[in-house]
Order: sequence, then C-alpha cells, then structure tokens
Amino acid sequence: MAEKDFRALYLHVPFCASKCAYCDFESAPCDRRDPLLSEYAVSVAGMVERVRSAGLLGALETAYIGGGTPTLLADGDLVRLVKISGPVGELSFEANPESLTAEKLVAAREAGATRVSIGVQSLNDRELRALGRVHTAETAIEALRLAAVSGLDVSCDLMGAIPLQTPESLRSSVRGVLGCGVGHVSVYPLQVEEGTPFGRAVDEGRMELPSTDREADAMEEAEALLRAAGFQRYEVASYALPGRDCRHNGHYWDGSAYLGLGTGAASMAHRALYERFRELAPGLPAMPDGNERARFSCTSTAPAVASAHGALEPLAWDVEFLTAGEAAAEDLMLAARTSKGIPGEQVARAGRLLGRERVLGALRGLERDGLLARVDDAWRPTERGWLLGNVVFGRLWSLASE
Amino acid sequence: MTTTDTSHIRNFSIVAHIDHGKSTISDRILELTHTVEERDMRSQLLDTMDIEQERGITIKSNAVRVMYDADDGETYQFNLIDTPGHVDFTYEVSRSLAACEGAVLVVDATQGVEAQTVSNANLAMNANLEIVPAINKIDLPSAHPDEVREEIEEELAIPAEDAVCVSGKTGEGIHDLLESIVFLVPPPEGDARAPLKALILDSYFDEYRGVVAMVRVFDGSIKKGDRLHMMQGDEDFLVDAVAVKRPAEVPVRELAVGEVGVVVTGLKDPAAVRVGDTLTYADRPCAEALPGYREAKPMVYTGIFPIDNKEYENLRDALEKLRVNDPSLVWDPETSVALGFGFRVGFLGLLHMEVVKERLEREFGLDLIATSPSVDYHVYLTDGDMVDIRSPQDLPDPSSIDHIEEPYLKAKVIVPPEFTGAVMQLAVEHRGEMADMVYLSDKSVEMHFEIPLAELILDFFDQLKSRTKGYASLDYEFDEYRPSDLVKLDILLSGDDVDALSFIVHKDKAYPLARGLCDKLKEMIPRQQFEVPIQGAIGSKIIARSTVKAVRKDVLAKCYGGDITRKRKLLEKQKEGKKRMKSIGRVEVPQEAFLAVLKVDE
Repeated sequence: MAEKDFRALYLHVPFCASKCAYCDFESAPCDRRDPLLSEYAVSVAGMVERVRSAGLLGALETAYIGGGTPTLLADGDLVRLVKISGPVGELSFEANPESLTAEKLVAAREAGATRVSIGVQSLNDRELRALGRVHTAETAIEALRLAAVSGLDVSCDLMGAIPLQTPESLRSSVRGVLGCGVGHVSVYPLQVEEGTPFGRAVDEGRMELPSTDREADAMEEAEALLRAAGFQRYEVASYALPGRDCRHNGHYWDGSAYLGLGTGAASMAHRALYERFRELAPGLPAMPDGNERARFSCTSTAPAVASAHGALEPLAWDVEFLTAGEAAAEDLMLAARTSKGIPGEQVARAGRLLGRERVLGALRGLERDGLLARVDDAWRPTERGWLLGNVVFGRLWSLASE
Repeated sequence: MTTTDTSHIRNFSIVAHIDHGKSTISDRILELTHTVEERDMRSQLLDTMDIEQERGITIKSNAVRVMYDADDGETYQFNLIDTPGHVDFTYEVSRSLAACEGAVLVVDATQGVEAQTVSNANLAMNANLEIVPAINKIDLPSAHPDEVREEIEEELAIPAEDAVCVSGKTGEGIHDLLESIVFLVPPPEGDARAPLKALILDSYFDEYRGVVAMVRVFDGSIKKGDRLHMMQGDEDFLVDAVAVKRPAEVPVRELAVGEVGVVVTGLKDPAAVRVGDTLTYADRPCAEALPGYREAKPMVYTGIFPIDNKEYENLRDALEKLRVNDPSLVWDPETSVALGFGFRVGFLGLLHMEVVKERLEREFGLDLIATSPSVDYHVYLTDGDMVDIRSPQDLPDPSSIDHIEEPYLKAKVIVPPEFTGAVMQLAVEHRGEMADMVYLSDKSVEMHFEIPLAELILDFFDQLKSRTKGYASLDYEFDEYRPSDLVKLDILLSGDDVDALSFIVHKDKAYPLARGLCDKLKEMIPRQQFEVPIQGAIGSKIIARSTVKAVRKDVLAKCYGGDITRKRKLLEKQKEGKKRMKSIGRVEVPQEAFLAVLKVDE
C-alpha cells in the first residue's frame, strides 16, 4: 500500500476565459495573451522536472492536466505541460469547447496525450447561458466531433438539475454527446457552492436550490440512457464504455499517492514519500509522530507559482495529516464510491487497524439498509447506495473516530 | 456598624404589580441613603440574577440594610426587602412579608390598581403590615395620580390621601417616602434577652461557605460561634459568621432582635436548611416555633431532560441547589425513550417554570429540553381507586379508567371594556365558562370565569396579553376538580410511540391538536433514508397522519484529489448534526422538532 513513489500526477491550470456561475474551483478569468499564462506553464513544467530528477515520479501511471481551462494556454505551453508529464499510460487534459482547436488536439496527441475531457455541461443554449458558459451547443458538438477523430479517448462532463433544464433537455444533451462518439461521460448534479454567483443568488432568494428529488431524477435519467448505450457506471458520477474508465481518477479512490502541482492542486502521500517530497518543498511542515498520511495542496497564487521559476522552495501549502486508522477509514469511504467497491483484502486490512468487528458491523449495517451489497468478495454500492452515498461514506468515515 | 436601638429599626417590603417600578424605587432608596454611591449604581441593583436584570423582573426576594438620616436628626436602620411581582411568585412575597412590619405599596400613576396590586395588598394586610401607598411614575405625561389615589381607596380600602407621589426614574418624592416609612411603619417588637427565635426567609448555597440563610430575628440575637438549632429540620450547626447586605455582604458582630441579615451555617447539604424553619439556641430553645409559611403547591408539571444525557447527575445537583432558596420546587425522576433520563418537575405556574429552566441552563450551564406542561389529573379507575397522574405516560390503560377529573380554576381578568368580547372569546376557546362580569369603573371591567388549569398553562396568558394589547391582568386560584372528557393522544413515528409527545387533552381538541402535531413534525423531521409515517392516535385509533418522504439523493458527486478533505469535513458536519438528534426506532429526530412541537400552537 505505502508505495515509494507517486502513481499519479496532476497539473492545475488556474485560468479561464470567464468564470462560470456555479464554479468554485481554483481559477480566475484572464486574457489568453497575458504573459502570466506562459510564465506559469513554464514554471510548473520546471517543478515537474525537479520532482522527476529527485526520483519521485518513477512509478507514475497516469497524468492529468486540469483546470481552469488548460486549452486557454497557447499550443506551445499546453504541449510543454503534456510533454513534461509523460510518457505515461494515460495522460488526459481538460478542454473547453470554445478553445479546443484541431491544432491543439493534434499537438497534444503528438506530445503524448492519450485522452481529452471536454467540459460540455449541456447541449441546450439557454441552459449554457444560465450557467455562464461561453460556448454554445454547436461549438460543443463541433469540439466533440473533432476530438473523436483525433485519435484521443474522449470524455465529456454534463450537469443535471441545472436552471431551465427539463427531463427532455437532459435526455437530449446525453443523446447528443453519445452521438458524437465519446467513450466516457461524467454527469454531476448541480452543486451550489458558497461564494459563487449561484450561491449568492440562492442566499438572496433569486434562485431556488435544486431539490434532491430533481437531482435524483437527473442522475437516474442519465444513468438509464448511458447504460442503454453500453456505458457502465464505475463511480457515483462516472460512466464509461468497457475499458475506458479514467484510471487517473481511479487513483484518487484507491489510496494511491498522487502529486498535484500548481495553484490549488492537491496531493496525497504516505509518510516516507511525503518526507522525501518535503526535501524539495521545505514550506511543508514535518509529519508529526502518530500520523501516516498527508493531504496537502498548494496555496500559492498563480503569479507566485509563475515567479518561482520551477522551484518548489518558495511555495506555500495547506496540510492535513491523518493517522493510519483515519487513512484506512478514508480508503473505505473512497472505495465505496466505485463499482469495484471495497475488496475483501481491504476490509481485512482496515479491520486490523480499526477493529474487525467494527468494520464488518458497519458494512453489514449498510447492507441491511440496502446501500451496499456483497458481491463475491467485495462490498459494492447498490443502486440506492449510489444516490445515498453520503450515508455510506459518513458511516465508514466515522469508523476513524468512534 | 454600630448597633441600632430596636426603636430605630424599620423592616419593610415594597410590593407592586409587575412593571409598576418597584425595583427602580429600591434603586433610588439605595442611592439617596448613600448605601450605593451614584457611580456604582446600575439599575435594578437588588435583582442579582441575570434573568432578573434581563427581563426586568424580580424573582427572588432580597434584603438590604440601609441607614437613613431622617429629618428628625436620628439615624434609622431600614431593612428593605424586595419582592417579586408576578402571580407565580406569590409564595415568595408572603415569605418576605413575614419579616416585615410595613409594606410600601407601589401603584403606577398611569395604570392604576392592577390584579397583582390587589393580591399583594391583600397579602400585606393579612400579614398585619402597615401599608404605605406610593404612586409612581409621576414624571410621565400620562400620569393621573388623583384618579389612582381614588382607585386605591375604592378598590383596596386603603386610606390614600397621604399617598406619596414619587418617580423612581427622577428620584422625585423618594425623600418623602422615606420620611413616611419612619413615621408610619412601626418598629419591630421582641425580647433581646429571650431565647432566640429567628425565621429563615431564604437561603442559598455557596460553594465555599455552604448554606447561607437569610433570617429575621424576632427574639434574642445571633453571633458568630452560637450553636443554633433548626426546629423543623431538627439539626444543629455552629454559626460561622453573621452579616448584613448593603447590598454587598458586610460582616457584623451580631444580628440583634428585630434585625434582618444572613447567617453562614457551614452546612454542606443544600437540603438541610428549609426556608420557613425557625432558628433557636441549641442549648436554650424557645418554647414554640414561629408559624411557617403556607406551603406552596405545584400546579404545573413538566418533564425536564438534559439534551446530553451525561448531564443527568448535574441536573439533579442543580435542582437540589435551586431548591435551597426555592422550596416550592418538587421533582421525581422520569425516563423517556425519546429524551432519556430526566425529571418530572412541579412548578407554581408557567413563569416559574420558565424561570427555573432558564436558571438551570444559565447558572449551571445545562442544555435542557422541556416537555409539554401538564397538570395533576385525578384518574378514577373502574375498581373505584383514584390515581394522581402528572405525566401522560403514566395514564393507565383506557379500559381500566372510569373517568378523569381535572383541576379547574377561578380566573379573574381585569380589562378595559372594549376588550371584554375578545377575552370572552379566548375563554370559550379554552373551555372556560364565564361566571360574571363587574364594572369596576367605566374604564375597567372585572371578568370572572372558570377554566381548566390545563388550558391556562398552554398559551392562555400570551394570548390574553396579545388580544388585549397588553391591557389585561390575570389572577387565578384553584377552584375544584371536575370530570372532563379527556383522552391520551399519542404520536407515532414509523409506528413507534414517541413518549415525549403524548398529551392528555380534551376529546374535542385531540383532532386539531393531532393534525397540528403531525404537520409540524413533517416540517421539522428531515427526510431520511426511508419514508417516515407520522401518526396521531388515541389508543389504537389513528386520527391524523402525515408522511416524511424518503430522501432519494444525498451524495456529493464530485470527489477528486482536492475534494477529499473537504468531503470529509462535510461528513463530519453532518455527523455533528446527527449527534443532536434523538433516535426513535430508526427515525432520527432533531431536538428542534421536539422544541417546535412542544410549543405547537393550537
């Protein structure tokens, strides 16, 4: 479990053409000609180089360039980030329809990218405007078609229970993206976050929070259509054709160590790896005795990252440490998000740290409530369990404290 | 402090209807006699409890000694005893009056004689006290002191031509009031050489000094080191110290005959000292004890539970400590599936209940939940036996009940004539029956009716105040037990009976109450994993129903690298929320649901 090197690498591009009404991600609207974009990309690439030279990326299996909007970068800068991340078996980058060009697709693929994930959200122009997206349905379809012929695996994001959406318009968005030949779709119900324009609209009574019934309807509706098209749900919100699961995202849920670089990017490492990484990034505090896992994210702003010129020493971080027991409970909770579920050996391992009877008791309780089912040797979420995930996650996580 | 000759002592109380300004007058007296310098003055100085200061009411009595240099050139020792003004605390008033020879009766110059003015004046006259009437708030433009003077004479039969006009706010007339006290209130009588006879007026528990008793000496005197005997409690103790309140405690050499002060007993058991008991010398007892007080009878009962069940023992200790200076407080342990371990506590009335609950929460740092108040029902069984029932859970099986009787009150409401219709309407809604109506003047009507106590304790008083724009005053006394068509209403969640939500109600009110409760609960119980049927039932008969639909989606769909920490925090927050919930079967009910439902408006 406690592997020596990072298995996944994430690079964050915190720039967007404009900020969407629902988004609370680390990103700021900016002009694509701003020299900051290039300086930032060059600096992040330099950081990857340092970490690689220190021997921390020897076991890398996947990489992901996300945002923000990575395709807002100039072709050369995007290529720089792709190149520096590879070669790895799966190398994804995120794209927004309006900034995804044929040239970018080809250049990224030449540089080693294997997969592109396009933020479509909806194929209804009124809904797109309400979300504050800068592209139209037509632009999105065009981008999806281009991507499909580029030789990359194509994924797209859709949203449910968004303003103006009807069951029919959701169905038509799902059918629309399926018609473009994507192999992977993520469907998220709208999450209204504090500090976003939607959050303020709800606070001021100008907008109603989507009801959980509407969200459940949207999730079920999308699931039915995708299943009929041969897609399998392999996580709460993720669907893929056989063999097209996103392995990078899988690392977030299976306890693998991952490294995130760039503003707001999150990392997870076990004790030994964390201490090795800390030699490069002395801004991180030592892991206190009694803890086994660190979760940390970079709090330096984009200009600060850019002016670090590839050095990790000047970076600032937010850190959280977990005990071995907490890490085990967290892994149970994360595994329960996926269709693989919690394998028997993981249950046994968690049992050694948290008490076998407690772990089994929690799992059996969730089975009684119809949220988990025991299939072969693994505990897997049921249909109900997907939708009531927080009940499952809450009980598993509480094994760490009770 | 030098000893005062008994002839120069004046012991008096100030009595008034609530809000008529008794506490401000006390404040001015303290100021004028330099007991408290102006710079140290804060309002309602004698009201030491937080609740008293905040609500602007007096709940506990307090005795302060002030020295007054009168116009005749002599210095007098005044023992001023502040008393509560609310109907629930009549008991406190009568206790304080037993220590006095006189009473200043304060009447608001804008409102005139009100219900509590009458009842407190009656208490004072029954205690053979000299009444010194004072008309307060004469600084207000709407003051009409001459009419008030007439009212005092007509309604209270107290000569009022010499009533002093004062303003507690400006201090006007306070000097005249003090002079009147010197001349009108008789000095105490008593034999300094006789065996000690002292009345325990009040007591409180002090962590360091044990029980501290406030006493009035009728014969003899008390000094540090005296061995005293409590005649009713049959226990002895050595006096650790004697002091007087000015209003901070000042030690004195002795409490002489006729004086009022505090005795530090050193006793560590809060229950050892009973208010109303007589103190005497252990080696030279007096022949007979002073008459105690009329025993206060609880009228209203409610279950009080700590929200955190680990606080049960602390709640018991807190009740014990409160009982030291509130002997009217009675309780029995009570267990509820929904609320855990707690106590069924008896109170003198609704305000008393609120005040006790608030004191428990504030002074002892407890978080409490109170169930719907109930009264003492007489349940007659088919085998001819009668049982006292104070909690709906104790009600026997309906098949074994012949009939139930409930306490009725004689209630008296005084209102301006334009509100009589509203009051009548309110009384009828609360199963009250009008007895008669008397015009006291063309500005006020006294209405008498008979009403079940159970109706009065729900929201009658608040309703009365709001429907009469605050003009009505209410007074009531126990009348008799009468048979009523009462049933037990149960609330079921997913088929499980919620014991904290059982009510004994009149049959006609069971249906609307059940509907109201089911609807309110539906609002308050969050959607759960499973559908939750809520039912109101009389026995096995379901009379109301609502349903909390099952939640279909509760999952944060996005959970990538950076979301994991945040997600756990969210789950922890959800769990914190759950901790404050009580499980009824497999239904999780937030405390707020009980609170909201226990306050349900009919």
